[in-house]
Amino acid sequence: METELRIGVFVCHCGINIAGVLDIEDLCEYAGTLPNVVTVQPNLFTCAETGTSGIKNAVKEHDLNRVVVAACTPRTHEPIFRASCQEAGINPYFFEMVNIREHCSWVHRHDREAAQGKARDLIRMAVARAMFLEPIETFKSKVEPRALVIGAGIAGMSSALALAGEGFDVTLLEKKAEMGGLLRDLHKVAPSEVGAGELVEQKVAAIKQEGRIQCFTSATLEEVSGYVGNYSATFSSNGNTHTHKVGAIIVATGGAPLKPMGLYNYDGKRVITQSELETKLKSGKLDAKSIVMIQCVGARIPERNYCSRICCMVAIKNSLHIKEIAKDAKVFVLYRDIQAYGVENEALFLKAKEAGVRFIRYNLESPPVVGDGNVEIYHPAMGKEVPLPAELVVLSTPIVAHDDAESVSRILKVPVNEYRFFLEAHAKLSPLDFATNGIYLCGNAHYPATVREAISQALGAASRASIILSHDAIERVGTVARVDQELCSSCFACVKVCPYQVPHMDEGGKAMIEPMQCQGCGICVAECPAEAIQFGYVSDAQIMAACEALCA
Amino acid sequence: MNNFEPLIAVFSCHYCSYAAADLAGSSRIQYPPNIRVIKIPCTGRVSVNHILKALECGADGVYVAGCLEGTCHFISGNFKAKQRVQYAKNLLSEINMEPERVQMYFMSAAEGAKFANVAKEMTETIRELGPSPLGQNKSE
Amino acid sequence: MSRDVLVIGGGIAGIQASLDLAEQGFTVYLVERLPSIGGKMAQLDKTFPTNDCSICIMGPKLFEVERHPNTQLLTYTDVEAVKGGAGNFTVTVRKKARYVDEAKCTACGLCAEKCPVSVPDVFNMNMDTRSAIYKYFPQGIPSVYTIDDSVCRIFKGKKCNICAKICEAKAVNYEQKDAVFDLNVGAIIVATGFDVFDPSDIKPYGYGTIPDVITAMEFERLLNASGPTGGHLERLSSLNTKAEIEQLEKQIKHAKAGLKRAEKNGQNSDKVDEVKKRLAEMNESLDGLKAKEASLAELRDIAFVQCVGSRDLRYNAHCCSYGCMHSVKEAVVATEHESELKSTIFFTDMRAYGKEFHEYCLRGGSEYGIHFVRGRVAEIAQGDGGRPVVWCEDMDTRKVEQHPFDLVVLATACVPSQGSASLATMLGFNLDESGFVKTDPNKPVDTSVQGIFVCGCAQGPMDIPSSVSLASAAASMAVQTVKALG
Repeated sequence: METELRIGVFVCHCGINIAGVLDIEDLCEYAGTLPNVVTVQPNLFTCAETGTSGIKNAVKEHDLNRVVVAACTPRTHEPIFRASCQEAGINPYFFEMVNIREHCSWVHRHDREAAQGKARDLIRMAVARAMFLEPIETFKSKVEPRALVIGAGIAGMSSALALAGEGFDVTLLEKKAEMGGLLRDLHKVAPSEVGAGELVEQKVAAIKQEGRIQCFTSATLEEVSGYVGNYSATFSSNGNTHTHKVGAIIVATGGAPLKPMGLYNYDGKRVITQSELETKLKSGKLDAKSIVMIQCVGARIPERNYCSRICCMVAIKNSLHIKEIAKDAKVFVLYRDIQAYGVENEALFLKAKEAGVRFIRYNLESPPVVGDGNVEIYHPAMGKEVPLPAELVVLSTPIVAHDDAESVSRILKVPVNEYRFFLEAHAKLSPLDFATNGIYLCGNAHYPATVREAISQALGAASRASIILSHDAIERVGTVARVDQELCSSCFACVKVCPYQVPHMDEGGKAMIEPMQCQGCGICVAECPAEAIQFGYVSDAQIMAACEALCA
Repeated sequence: MNNFEPLIAVFSCHYCSYAAADLAGSSRIQYPPNIRVIKIPCTGRVSVNHILKALECGADGVYVAGCLEGTCHFISGNFKAKQRVQYAKNLLSEINMEPERVQMYFMSAAEGAKFANVAKEMTETIRELGPSPLGQNKSE
Repeated sequence: MSRDVLVIGGGIAGIQASLDLAEQGFTVYLVERLPSIGGKMAQLDKTFPTNDCSICIMGPKLFEVERHPNTQLLTYTDVEAVKGGAGNFTVTVRKKARYVDEAKCTACGLCAEKCPVSVPDVFNMNMDTRSAIYKYFPQGIPSVYTIDDSVCRIFKGKKCNICAKICEAKAVNYEQKDAVFDLNVGAIIVATGFDVFDPSDIKPYGYGTIPDVITAMEFERLLNASGPTGGHLERLSSLNTKAEIEQLEKQIKHAKAGLKRAEKNGQNSDKVDEVKKRLAEMNESLDGLKAKEASLAELRDIAFVQCVGSRDLRYNAHCCSYGCMHSVKEAVVATEHESELKSTIFFTDMRAYGKEFHEYCLRGGSEYGIHFVRGRVAEIAQGDGGRPVVWCEDMDTRKVEQHPFDLVVLATACVPSQGSASLATMLGFNLDESGFVKTDPNKPVDTSVQGIFVCGCAQGPMDIPSSVSLASAAASMAVQTVKALG
């Protein structure tokens, strides 16, 4: 190193999130004793404006060339501090972050002494790593102004139309022979009372008219390669295989109501599901005069411990439709908690009560029993079991993920949760994004959603994708591997190991890595026996330094 | 050696296990304070040398925590890591060290509880094995 | 004609909509009536179901939207008039005088320290005080101070220029005037959020008369590290008593000094005796207050009362949609502050309908010992020692029961924001029966006026992820509008 290393360490209280467990003063004092550390500063909130301007001032005042922040997770806050470094005039990658909140104060609350020791160790390791940081520059990569939307239900169709409306080309894939998804079989959509089929047909007609959307039915996604702005998607449709270049991808693969096999004497005839009821309502073939609906069938139970969000409103909507056809029909809804959130839903719930639909609550411990022509339920107000007449029993079952969710997850390399719903980047603030830049999600693929919600999310996902598509090129950070050809022994190890088939042998017989294609995983770096591959983002020197600093 | 507190190095990938550790944190799931996470973009970045280096520098145990099998953000990085961990285990056996000191784990970004359980499990395993023979020159 | 977009409201919905637009290369004006963006989310301590610290995850967004080259933040600004239509709106805005030069202020805070005025701090739900020159909240963006001219001595015609004198950056300017100007935009996004229902309308709940009956938002601030108690869980009566003690101690000190002077000057013994007598009285009441404070120090039993002003035809028919999760979260977080704490939630239906919500509630019961009671609270009375007593019929046992608590937290309804009716009139769009912006369920962000879109709680009660999704949706519709017409 030619220039002297001058490291600044900033330790965040994060209010009481960190300072409630760790002794910040001690950490600062300790950090000050570490080699090359020239200044240490505590902050109440390092991410607040005062904190970041503090970093910038310290860089100037102390002529810092490395910055270490001990605070929360780099997964959310690293960009802010990198930007502060850049604004202060040093390379944003001369920055190291150490997580003493999620990985320390929050998880070792009952052992402060050990937590303190761990925090000291983590700071020491980060400072050691900081000494070997390398500057990283950015470069540009072009964007394909076309999106791939997977699934042509209400969500996928709405996304595709929004993207086309914003001026982008769309490849829309539907695994069935027709677009429309779940809505195709339903009766009416609440609370607009528009026919579900009608809504589908409107969207299908709009898509067919829209020159920018190319729809492929009976389609299966087979392979996706590439990266944000520049994906290559291979799929088959009606016996043909296509490969489209796309810049962004929206997952709108939907879900399906659970078939309640073995539950409440389900037989598809006298005991049916809500979607089967809708088919009857749609064709006008409902003649039962006493109907009992049972909520949470296969949901909010230990095996499937989630609430499917929409089933209560489906039951309320359908019970109102029954009452419209036959005012004298007896409709009972047996529920655990009615999920009529918001303005519209609660209004509809009230309307159902006014129309004479009877709501009776049951507990998980004493579920209703479906008998012959009746349903027995413990009535809390009467304090005893009562039989309810039931010519027809309708089971409200949850939306569950499609079987192919896992294959889509594998092909796109995006995660699903334990119920195989796709997992968004952040539950609160990135509900439509995947952690992988360039791939987005909406509708039932994410979690059960009403039509209103599915359309909202679909438009939102289109907006997120447009952020990529609206640029001719996107800037990429040079966190990529580079071959030092002097050291390369032409062993092909990198060529064999790279999951993206990026490294290849050039005319001179030496390995070569195209930076635009490199994904920055570092697998080849660890594989190269000649240590010929440089990876400044996470170099061997940095990892070794962190290891060496494990013990004081 | 009842009060032996093992020191454990964890190579944790950005996309899954680091996120799982964050989730363990935001869910306030408590686990033993013996682990020290070294963040890497993908477990495929970890070489046998890194694992050995951590042991040499005083870690009583080392584990690599990657994405669930088949969901590695970089497709096959965690498989490579698994092979390398196995290689390191073999090396330890050859020099009569317990191969259990090095492990490979898989977890998703949604599995905060699993991250905590793995930390607990590994701490208990190493506590039973006792201090690493390589850690003689540890300052403690 | 314009391809620029106006976003009204700088809460999480307005911020997300602005960022989506700015990232796509459109110029965005983000108007916020308060001195800082952040909205209600900035006031929350934690968020469900991940227990993420609210300002921690929001902070980066505040920065991002301020820093983005395509956004122009207009804080402390009101929309005054709108003309034109989709593709070509002319919007008149009034940027209110802060009496502080935004470009010069370094937010050092010296002015606020020296300001002699002390008024209730709205951000901390009036449980703390702030000065007349103030920052709306510590992480507020833009990071500048503002003079509240409704309380500042200068604007009351009194002599004072302490803040101007102490400001090294010379940022204070009492002569600053409101700036009124026009913006030409192609589309408008309404993200004006919601208000918290004022529960003092519900007399049987005793809010405002029983000190330890508070709202969920007040409790949020009591849990927060930058709140009035620095994140130390205390009840309001304890805070009030502390303030009284402080006041009395000041008076005693003053009286003692007076007594010393009187004795020294050899004043007549009658007067001295009188002062002595008063002093003794004051000391006695101080002891009483200290005993009271000690008895209030322990906070063990908290009740959460759901559906306060919601699902109640006397007030609001609608459901606030986040109240159940909000209370479960507050109970979980409170238990993290104080592990001995016992929480009871009185609810109508447990509406835990989102991803991981039901699981979160189950964990609240099994790991945090939250006691769930199904039943609507009838009355909150004042019991022994002023403790609130909750009366409720338990729907499982069908028995009317009463339980005393140390603190009762009211999960208040989500109601349309104060200015929403006049904004609707100004912009010409319709409201629904609850006063939120009316939309067609199949066109979820379109208002009844072409080119004007809505997102977040302005559209109806919703949680943060729904607000964020809807914000992106509104951005998409705005882009489609300006691309077609702008």
